[in-house]
Amino acid sequence: MSQRSDAIAMRQEAHAPVARARRSTIDTRLATLLLFLPPALMLFTLFVVLPIGEAAWYSGFNWNGFGKPTRWIGLDNYRFVFDSRGFGTAFKNNLLIIVVSLTIQLPLAMALALILAERFRGAVALRMLFFLPYVLAEIATGLIFSFIYDGNYGLLASIYRAFGAEAPHLLASTQTSMLAILIVVVWKYFGFHMMLFIAALQGMDRNLVEAARIDGASRWQVLRHVVIPLLYPTIKLSIFFAVVGSLQLFDLVMPLTRGGPADSSNTMVSFLYNHGVSRMRVGYGSAIGVILFVICVTFAFSYKRWFMRNE
Amino acid sequence: MSFLRTLAFAAAVSTLAAGAAAAQTTVKWLHLEQNPAQVKIWDEVVRRFEAKNPGVKVEMQFLENEAYKAKLPTILQSKDRPHILYSWAGGVLKAQVEAGVLEDITAAVAGYKDNLSAGAVEAFTIDGKIYGLPHNVSQVGFMYNRDLFAKAGVDGGTIKTWDEFLDAVKKLKAAGITPISVGGQDKWPLHFYWTHLAVRLGGKPAFEAAFKGQNGGFEGETFQKAGELMKQLVDLEPFQTGFLGFKNPQALGFFADGKAAMNLAISHHSATQRALAADKKGIPEDKLGWVNFPMPAGAKGQPSDTLGGVNGWLFTKGSPKQALEFVKFFISDEVQRELAKNNFIIPTFKGSEAALGAVFMQNVAKNIAASNYHQNFYDQDLGPSVGRVVNDAVAEIAGGSMTPKQAAKAIQDAFKQGN
Amino acid sequence: MSDALAPRRPLDLVPLYKAVFLGLVALVVIVPLLATVLGGFKSLGELRTNPFGLPETWEWENYTGILLSQRYWQLLWNSLVIAALTVVLTLIVASMAAFVFAHIHFFGSSMLLSYLTMGLLFPAATAILPLFIKVRDLGLLDSYLGVALPQVAFSLAMSILLLRRFFRDLPHELLEAALVDGCSYIDFFRHVTLPLSRPILATVGTITFVHSWNSYLLPLVMLNSDSMYPWPLGIMIYQGEFSAEWHLILAFITLTILPTFLLFTLAQKHIVAGLTAGAVKG
Repeated sequence: MSQRSDAIAMRQEAHAPVARARRSTIDTRLATLLLFLPPALMLFTLFVVLPIGEAAWYSGFNWNGFGKPTRWIGLDNYRFVFDSRGFGTAFKNNLLIIVVSLTIQLPLAMALALILAERFRGAVALRMLFFLPYVLAEIATGLIFSFIYDGNYGLLASIYRAFGAEAPHLLASTQTSMLAILIVVVWKYFGFHMMLFIAALQGMDRNLVEAARIDGASRWQVLRHVVIPLLYPTIKLSIFFAVVGSLQLFDLVMPLTRGGPADSSNTMVSFLYNHGVSRMRVGYGSAIGVILFVICVTFAFSYKRWFMRNE
Repeated sequence: MSFLRTLAFAAAVSTLAAGAAAAQTTVKWLHLEQNPAQVKIWDEVVRRFEAKNPGVKVEMQFLENEAYKAKLPTILQSKDRPHILYSWAGGVLKAQVEAGVLEDITAAVAGYKDNLSAGAVEAFTIDGKIYGLPHNVSQVGFMYNRDLFAKAGVDGGTIKTWDEFLDAVKKLKAAGITPISVGGQDKWPLHFYWTHLAVRLGGKPAFEAAFKGQNGGFEGETFQKAGELMKQLVDLEPFQTGFLGFKNPQALGFFADGKAAMNLAISHHSATQRALAADKKGIPEDKLGWVNFPMPAGAKGQPSDTLGGVNGWLFTKGSPKQALEFVKFFISDEVQRELAKNNFIIPTFKGSEAALGAVFMQNVAKNIAASNYHQNFYDQDLGPSVGRVVNDAVAEIAGGSMTPKQAAKAIQDAFKQGN
Repeated sequence: MSDALAPRRPLDLVPLYKAVFLGLVALVVIVPLLATVLGGFKSLGELRTNPFGLPETWEWENYTGILLSQRYWQLLWNSLVIAALTVVLTLIVASMAAFVFAHIHFFGSSMLLSYLTMGLLFPAATAILPLFIKVRDLGLLDSYLGVALPQVAFSLAMSILLLRRFFRDLPHELLEAALVDGCSYIDFFRHVTLPLSRPILATVGTITFVHSWNSYLLPLVMLNSDSMYPWPLGIMIYQGEFSAEWHLILAFITLTILPTFLLFTLAQKHIVAGLTAGAVKG
């Protein structure tokens, strides 16, 4: 796509300059380049690119961040990461978030979008309501739900007590901690995905749907054979955000479980924080970062290859 | 918008004030004390110090215990770091010294240090140099609720062995009482069990051998046995429901509200629990009992061995000399007695312990004085990374996700990795 | 779902199913939020006995106590400063770069653009430790800039893409005419491009603001003194301090999400459009 637009730009430029203006134009072009580009390039290089490179370098050391790294231990940090059960669990948890996003959140978001994309009284208000959790900070959301799950004062506990049962402490058990987080993930993000679908549905050619209707197709058939195929690009997008969101999920985990108990509810990023940052194991944490980086980049490229082939 | 203006105004005023009194020295003191009653006394001490030392301002900053531990590594690297920091001594202190972020105060405290308990000063001495001043010592033991014990027909005074202790737990359970509250999310309250069992089972020789990597290190027999005994307890399900989701203050509050019979606590938690109770009163002194950690069968350690902390104050590199002056003033006989009187601390200033108010705190002070082996908390003693793994692994024993053997191995692995 | 959408007879129940479904989802979204707001008005004891209902006695002190504390305003102020710095710097730096990529063709242009959009591929968390070391070495720990600059750097990729797309869609004749008249690129940028680009600048500004306002990891790692904390950090500290006093924590949560809530109700269309457009077009 960007090549195509570049071509357009070139063509336009070929027409543009008028001879007497050309000289000064070239001068101001150069000046503009030299003035406008460096801030972005410098900031980006300094705070995004270099740290990734340095992560690769630091990951070879056993270093607590003070002074300069000196104890070179080769690839040991990577071995430590892969040997630790906690990282394996974190990786699985990330996958679990993606699976739940695709099997529960995505259909939910799509169903809601199909209803709310139509015009009726209250539709806009409901859209806004469902979108609201997405705007709330993860930290606040996590805290709200840690209250709801609280075994003594929480809403959930009250419901259990009303039935005379003892309340489960969802966040305190290795069996249920991740489940509790998954529920919050869906609660928080379904509205965002719903909005993606609503935007797509509103941009959709209504004539296709009308035509199918007139041909006698049932609502279900229209949905199955006309609407959903038209939503494929949005579904791909939704998948993309589910994966990216999962790979960087951190803020939500901290107020709920901090990744515990026993590292049962870490994501890869919270594992990095708990075992790398808060212990200042710069080398170990950097190794986790590099692994995460490789996963992200691999995903981005394979996504582009597999999903964006036709576009 | 008026609040913005107020803020801007406040900011302007404070800048002006700072500019006007250029001679003013500000000492930044980061503390973890959560008990308002104790902080009130500290505040007064600060005011007294400031009155005596014109031109010096002591600025108190507070961080909650867990937040502090998580932030400490980054705090130390900041140029705006506080001058006075809280410390549990041990391997964590050693790592900080090696990192070169602490001030060596050996010369500056040459005369003063003799006022303090020699053992406590020793904890802040690394390679012959002193890096901090001890403020209080503590012992880990079971704090218990006399009323709940009586209800279950348990006599706290008779619990001496591990089996007797387990029996008491069973009786409490049978009486429908939650035997023990523990802040499992913070992990270190759980690590007391494993560590104290190891202290009891192996005594000082076992720890020293493990530290040198002998006898299988922390994977050796003593430490596996400690895990197994702890497992015995865990299998009785003695803790409050959802204990792995409780932070220590919550667990103390749970005990203070009379919802659990015991808490394996640091001695000064007997005062802290009051502030954390829902009614802000907690368990009154006369209803509060103390049991030293029981002896398991076949233990090689001495009954007089203690597990506990030595807490004190460190000085970050480049802090003004007034910081040290303040801490000397703070750890003076007068202040230490005042704090001891309220049972907030077991003092390190020689003789101040005479002021201790509660009988059981006096006993704890005697225990520590009589102890030949006062083991510091493992999570501090073993250094920043290994200590955290001890906490992780013990919490996994408690949660049933690791066997004692796996836990011991995880700790030894971390010890060997050494990072 | 097929039940809900496939009619069995002419007089169908579909609208009813839909209404029930929407009602349920709405309930699930509202109840936690409402319980939080109301919980802040209750006493700790009442939280347990009366979790869902209106408070029996409205404990206004929970809220007023926080509103009158300097702490609360300090947190919001810090968040505001960091977010404002981030937004302003992002808009300036990104629009300048986007302008170059949109209008000036030069050797390596597309390569540089791909370089900058690499930032979309991975989150800031991956290199958080080296980033910490870098910010430390620059002496920016414990400063607003120490948080804002990395945030700007990470928001550049998306912002440049969005802005460039918009800049290119502006009528090209304008630029040609301006250049012929001897107007420089820089003048054109200042006097034509930027004024015409208000909608996209607003969108990019919104996205950046919301992200910065809510961000947690970067401030957590870069800031150490509580006088600098933005509200997500402050509220976590508050929760650590008042661990079991949920009524206070709930009041504090309510008050800290209040600005987000107000902003959202005032500018909802804009925020939704901004956040989803940013997502879709990026």
